[in-house]
Amino acid sequence: MMTKEDSRQEVFIRFSVLQRFLHIIVMVGFTGLAITGFSLKFSAQWWASGFVYLIGGAGHLAYLHRFFAVITYACVMAHIIWLIYYKLVLKGSLTGPQSLFPKVKDIKDLLGHLRYFFGRGSLPSFNRFTYWEKFDYLAIFLGMNTMGLTGLILWAPEFFSRLIPGYFINLAQVLHLYEAIMAVALKFVVHLISAHFRPEIFPVEKSIFNGKTTKEKIIREHPGEWENINASTESAASGSASQTS
Amino acid sequence: MNKLILFILILIGVALIAPEARADDPVMMPPVLDGKQRECMDCHRYPNINTNEGAYASQAFCLECHGQKACQKTVNGQKVSLRVNLQTFEKTRHKYAACIQCHTDVARCPHSSESGAQCTECHTVHGEEEIHDPHLRVDCQACHRTSKFVSLDKKTGQVRLSHFNDQKAPISLTDHALPDVTDPEFCKRCHTNENKVGAAAAVLPSKSFICILCHSAPLTIGHPIFWAALIIFLFGMILTLSFWFKGSVEEEEKSLHRKVALTSESVWQTLFSRQVFTLIKVVILDVFLQRRILQESVKRWSIHSLIYLSILARLFLGLLTYFAYRIGPDSSLALSLLNKNNGFTAFFYDLTGLLIVTGIAWAMIQRFILKPVHVAREGQDNLAIGIIGILIILGFLLEGTRILMTQIPSSMAVYSFIGYPIAKLIAGLGLDWKLIYPYLWYAHAVVGALLIAYLPFGKMKHVFNTPLTLMMNYKMK
Repeated sequence: MMTKEDSRQEVFIRFSVLQRFLHIIVMVGFTGLAITGFSLKFSAQWWASGFVYLIGGAGHLAYLHRFFAVITYACVMAHIIWLIYYKLVLKGSLTGPQSLFPKVKDIKDLLGHLRYFFGRGSLPSFNRFTYWEKFDYLAIFLGMNTMGLTGLILWAPEFFSRLIPGYFINLAQVLHLYEAIMAVALKFVVHLISAHFRPEIFPVEKSIFNGKTTKEKIIREHPGEWENINASTESAASGSASQTS
Repeated sequence: MNKLILFILILIGVALIAPEARADDPVMMPPVLDGKQRECMDCHRYPNINTNEGAYASQAFCLECHGQKACQKTVNGQKVSLRVNLQTFEKTRHKYAACIQCHTDVARCPHSSESGAQCTECHTVHGEEEIHDPHLRVDCQACHRTSKFVSLDKKTGQVRLSHFNDQKAPISLTDHALPDVTDPEFCKRCHTNENKVGAAAAVLPSKSFICILCHSAPLTIGHPIFWAALIIFLFGMILTLSFWFKGSVEEEEKSLHRKVALTSESVWQTLFSRQVFTLIKVVILDVFLQRRILQESVKRWSIHSLIYLSILARLFLGLLTYFAYRIGPDSSLALSLLNKNNGFTAFFYDLTGLLIVTGIAWAMIQRFILKPVHVAREGQDNLAIGIIGILIILGFLLEGTRILMTQIPSSMAVYSFIGYPIAKLIAGLGLDWKLIYPYLWYAHAVVGALLIAYLPFGKMKHVFNTPLTLMMNYKMK
């Protein structure tokens, strides 16, 4: 029989090894893309020309940018394959309440959360993924695909101008830049603050790196998930958070 | 106010007249312009060739003479045209380049070139990917020009575009058109039975990335032989992995998904803990330096290390070559490492090859002649040793043949201290080695592919098993 203190520290797996691995690669790849990409775009700035000098020329920068693009998009592909495997082989749910799929409840949670900030109500009962976590995930998942598409057009303009009108290249250039600025702002400001710099987490959310979370943390941050785990343990007697995406 | 209007009118006038000056044919500048002698600076200036205007000025200046039929020189009493045909030049991708961009040393007195056109001012040499490293001794122009006459400079071992045709008559090389070099038929300019430049009699495929174990190699799979080897290798790896996961993982018996999840979890927890330092120590001392075999027997360690460390060193140099070429294709480091005739590179590959052969020979002596009691003589072991041995011997034979065939000067070839004596030795046989070279090459490639395909099956499986076992043993402790 565990003491009350022990049971609150009971460890659950929140992220699988694959998810942790992909997060690290995307983290490195995305940062690399931002540094090399902005150094190319704002090449007239002192910091960009200095960085280009250190790297050994704009050619290397372009090569590195494509290298980071390939590893980042490889993660997207791996994730898509995982989703298919999760759906077909593991018979998991991609749109259920514990998934990352956006729901009406997220809007309710958002409004409830705002009310809570102003002291007019209690903290909403978040499920496995809160609305801002879903937003973070979907932003990068969809963003990597659109960035990948415009990037691919810019990588092989001769090939694509055989299929689509020439001004699409200019369009791709504009979209690639502005979406990059938006994505960087989102990831390095919003994601970093909402995932890692919140007072209850600061300085770093470890669960995406070691995969672990505790019963106490689940009850505090994702009470809806805890109810779900309890319900499934009662029905199947083999409850583990590792099976949910 | 009037001045301003006049100025605007002049501007409009210039704008209207200026495009007229650039007609289809470049404007020739005669020595006398508008009844007046030309200004000195008309010619004695260096145009900014990084601008279209400068490039055009450079072309116009050179074509003033080289555009005329009368432009010719006399070689051995025969007249050779020096006229550059603008029509063919303008069809090439160089049409916006200044003449002196490539012909860097012609704008001088006396007017002649020593170095010829310089391609590498803008372009980099081809690495293993496009074309294989033996072509480092071939001038760019020998392929990228329409003239099909090439010759071998015996002093430097360099293959050049020839100024003479087969009848020793001087020929004009002013055609600036670029031939289609992607056509495999094109390579038969040199790769024929009767070539005199030391090319193999057949067009050989490039190396595959599986060759990186021992050579510098491109990042492509290449010939079907290598595809087959790779497919067999991957199949074997899948078999091995599925065999490993047949057992239970942390009491999980059935679900493969759970087994993989538990294994990867355990690997992750080890990698991101202090245990990783122990693991690095194990990799250095046990996997690379083979401490455990050394503790058992110095002789066994010597035999194994001669083979294993030499291959590892070759792999390291191959990877270094790849990255050096990727980072700086023009760097002297990349060029020396790519070039098999470079002193260091030739010596290094010959030395490591010799060490491997020594190891193999020593192992053979142990197995077949001395036969100590503790040496288990399994057929599988003999097969592995045999494949590597044959591979290296074929490699040395191939190197000797290449040195003989390409006729590189002996001052260069001596650094291949195994290959060069072999070349001297087989020269006495009086065979036409450029016909034999392709067969030897394929033999070496097939045996190499066989080794890769064999890795996950017989004795060679230990290259995956042993390091893993060593690392897991330390985790258990």
